[in-house]
Amino acid sequence: MTDTKANTKEIYLSSSPHFTFGSSTQWIMATVLIALLPECIYGVIVFGLRALVTIIASVVSAVFFEYLFQKITKREVVVSNLSAAVTGVLLALVIPSTTPVWMVVIGALVAVVIAKGLFGGIGSNTFNPALTGRAFMFMSFSAIMGASWFNPESGVSKWSYALTGASNVDAVSSATILSQIESGTASIDGATMLQYFVGNRAGCIGETSIMLILLSFIFLLVTKVIDWRAPVTMVGTVIVATFVSSVISTGSASIAATDVIMALLTGGLLFGATFMVTDYATAPVTKPGRLVFGFGCGLITFLIRRFGGYPEGVMFSILIMNAVAPFLNNLTSRKYGYGKKAMQLKKEGK
Amino acid sequence: MKTHTFKGGIYPQEMKELSKDCAIVDAFPSTKTVTIPVTMGGAPNTPLVKVGDVVKRGQVIAKSDKFMSAPVHASVSGKVKKIQSCLVTGNMEVPCITIEADGSNETEYMPVLDPFTCGKQAALDRIRDAGIVGMGGASFPTHVKLNPPADKKINYVLLNAAECEPYLTVDERTLLETPEKVVDGLNIVMNIVGAEGIIALETNKDYIKPLLENEIQKNNIKNMSVALCKTKYPQGCEKNIVDAILGIEIPAGGLPADAGAIITNVGTVCAISDAFRKGMPLVDRALTISGGAVEKPCNLRVPVGTIVGDLIPDAFTLKQDATVKIVSGGPMMGFAMTNTQFPVAKGTSGITFLTKEETYLVDESQCISCGRCVEACPMHLTPVMIVRELKAENLAGAKKFGLMDCIECGCCSYVCPSNVRLVQRFRIGKGIVRAKMAEERAKASAAGVSK
Repeated sequence: MTDTKANTKEIYLSSSPHFTFGSSTQWIMATVLIALLPECIYGVIVFGLRALVTIIASVVSAVFFEYLFQKITKREVVVSNLSAAVTGVLLALVIPSTTPVWMVVIGALVAVVIAKGLFGGIGSNTFNPALTGRAFMFMSFSAIMGASWFNPESGVSKWSYALTGASNVDAVSSATILSQIESGTASIDGATMLQYFVGNRAGCIGETSIMLILLSFIFLLVTKVIDWRAPVTMVGTVIVATFVSSVISTGSASIAATDVIMALLTGGLLFGATFMVTDYATAPVTKPGRLVFGFGCGLITFLIRRFGGYPEGVMFSILIMNAVAPFLNNLTSRKYGYGKKAMQLKKEGK
Repeated sequence: MKTHTFKGGIYPQEMKELSKDCAIVDAFPSTKTVTIPVTMGGAPNTPLVKVGDVVKRGQVIAKSDKFMSAPVHASVSGKVKKIQSCLVTGNMEVPCITIEADGSNETEYMPVLDPFTCGKQAALDRIRDAGIVGMGGASFPTHVKLNPPADKKINYVLLNAAECEPYLTVDERTLLETPEKVVDGLNIVMNIVGAEGIIALETNKDYIKPLLENEIQKNNIKNMSVALCKTKYPQGCEKNIVDAILGIEIPAGGLPADAGAIITNVGTVCAISDAFRKGMPLVDRALTISGGAVEKPCNLRVPVGTIVGDLIPDAFTLKQDATVKIVSGGPMMGFAMTNTQFPVAKGTSGITFLTKEETYLVDESQCISCGRCVEACPMHLTPVMIVRELKAENLAGAKKFGLMDCIECGCCSYVCPSNVRLVQRFRIGKGIVRAKMAEERAKASAAGVSK
């Protein structure tokens, strides 16, 4: 409608508010990518060119499969929101650098198409896409995935064999400390702890440096991209459960404290807590729901690590809790005006 | 000094700098006519005048016998030209009385009345006769608000001077320019309801606090104080301001009176002061004209019923082709209007002309379940789940997550990265629930009759 007085051509009508913060999905995903950048760079420094190849293969195929899926299913193509790129990076960072490229491509396909696209795309998926892709790879190719860890201290040049197959790699089988702890052969001292904190060790590309993961965590908290509730309760639960169980079995608080530190420094606990349990679509949206979600992830992680057949429980604990997340949304904060005091006032009023 | 606050809420750009330094100036419509809605708050009024009648400024031109009503007065002296439906805030057409000013400026005010000696009933009658309604936007008749049921003990009168809407500065200017009138008006209200008075300012207006305290001291008012609240939206929502200042929640479905509080507005207490001290009914209204499309944002005092467009170009002008939204009120809770041909009513606190850059016209994208709306909701509801339940046509579920407890402040829509029109959908959802409830009531009463 034109209005000569208003000195204008087009006036829009809508219900309030007429103001927005101006945040966007793209901005959020870009922030997550920035948070993941140190882990990517450090992963390449530790594991060499092969890690770079894995990251690139994962991101490119994740974005490509999302594009293809949205084209084929005649949906709006939204790869520009960068969520597929985030899935690609996350997938690459939770697998060993020695994973063959074709395997990475299949993992990305499972993550983006089966775990996300078929569930209705961004925001509608039940299971964490990157972890679903990883779970698929670990189940299908367990021989290669679980046993081909590249040890950065092996002396083999990490820049020379970038594209050769996994079999040529000086891979240390069962090299992770978790499997050693599982078999009772681990020996831990202060130097080992520092090495694990910095991250120069065998492991998945992005999970090794606890220091950098903590930095990312703080960055994501400050930029308000993630909520503290689920990660903090998850890690807290693992700490308490590990300590209690260790004290019961060894009777020594100092051994228990070492166990707690190693539980934090090894495996994917902190990476999962920072990047996986904070995934929007697959975690509850309510505050109490997130607390319970984090508690469940922590408890199942501990149970699998302590009693399960796998050395690492983070992936399965999160995937199991993903299935429960929609129900946890029924746990809501108390609404304004429903407190005891308010209800009392209402009664008195009547 | 403690800064009061509440959980949830948002920090939008304040945009007050556009007009906060502009003194309130008097303005008159260029057409010399005003279009006064017959009803502005409360039960529907009936016009008392007919076309051709000569009226004086301050003369009652519409009223109702219902207790829940507030009379309407001529805001200019002149001749009644038309009585017909016109567009008003909310894009509705309602009956309006158009008066052409004759320039005589003759007034017909009430006699001056001492609020502290006249007695409670006389004071309430005066407030009603002056046609005073809540000037913050809700337009609830003030004499009704100040006369709560006898079983509700009122301990506090809160003067809501938070002005948390972005852009609006008219309350800030009023407090700064006439603190004596604000304090006097609040004192009158406190005297009527017999309660302690608290003026609630946001910290962005803390420089006004000494002015008000000085005024309180000068008049030796013992039970009035000034409290600072965090600058945060929606601090001025009555539920949040009661929670922030008194630490009490208003029970769901209840009124501030249930929590022992009455909340009033800066413009309203000034009108109350004028009604007693000058005998002047509510015929003028101060408002902010702001937004990126306004050449020189300003604060104006205009006769009630002034058509906004009639203030252009004498009182303010708009940038060429800049306006994409004309909002009656502020950008968070105001109404988008089709054009400028609507009158300033008693509850109009500002007009905001927004540019393409200030507002947002993009489409919704898919919800990513980030939970920002849950974090922002000042009522601690779960907006994302309400939308999901509404989409699933599950009204019971939507109510469980708080549909009917929504105050429509717009925080959820503001923070949504996918631009999901959350609160906009809740309005529709609430309408459906209310319609269903009315239907059920009708059925129940019909069943009762047939028995």
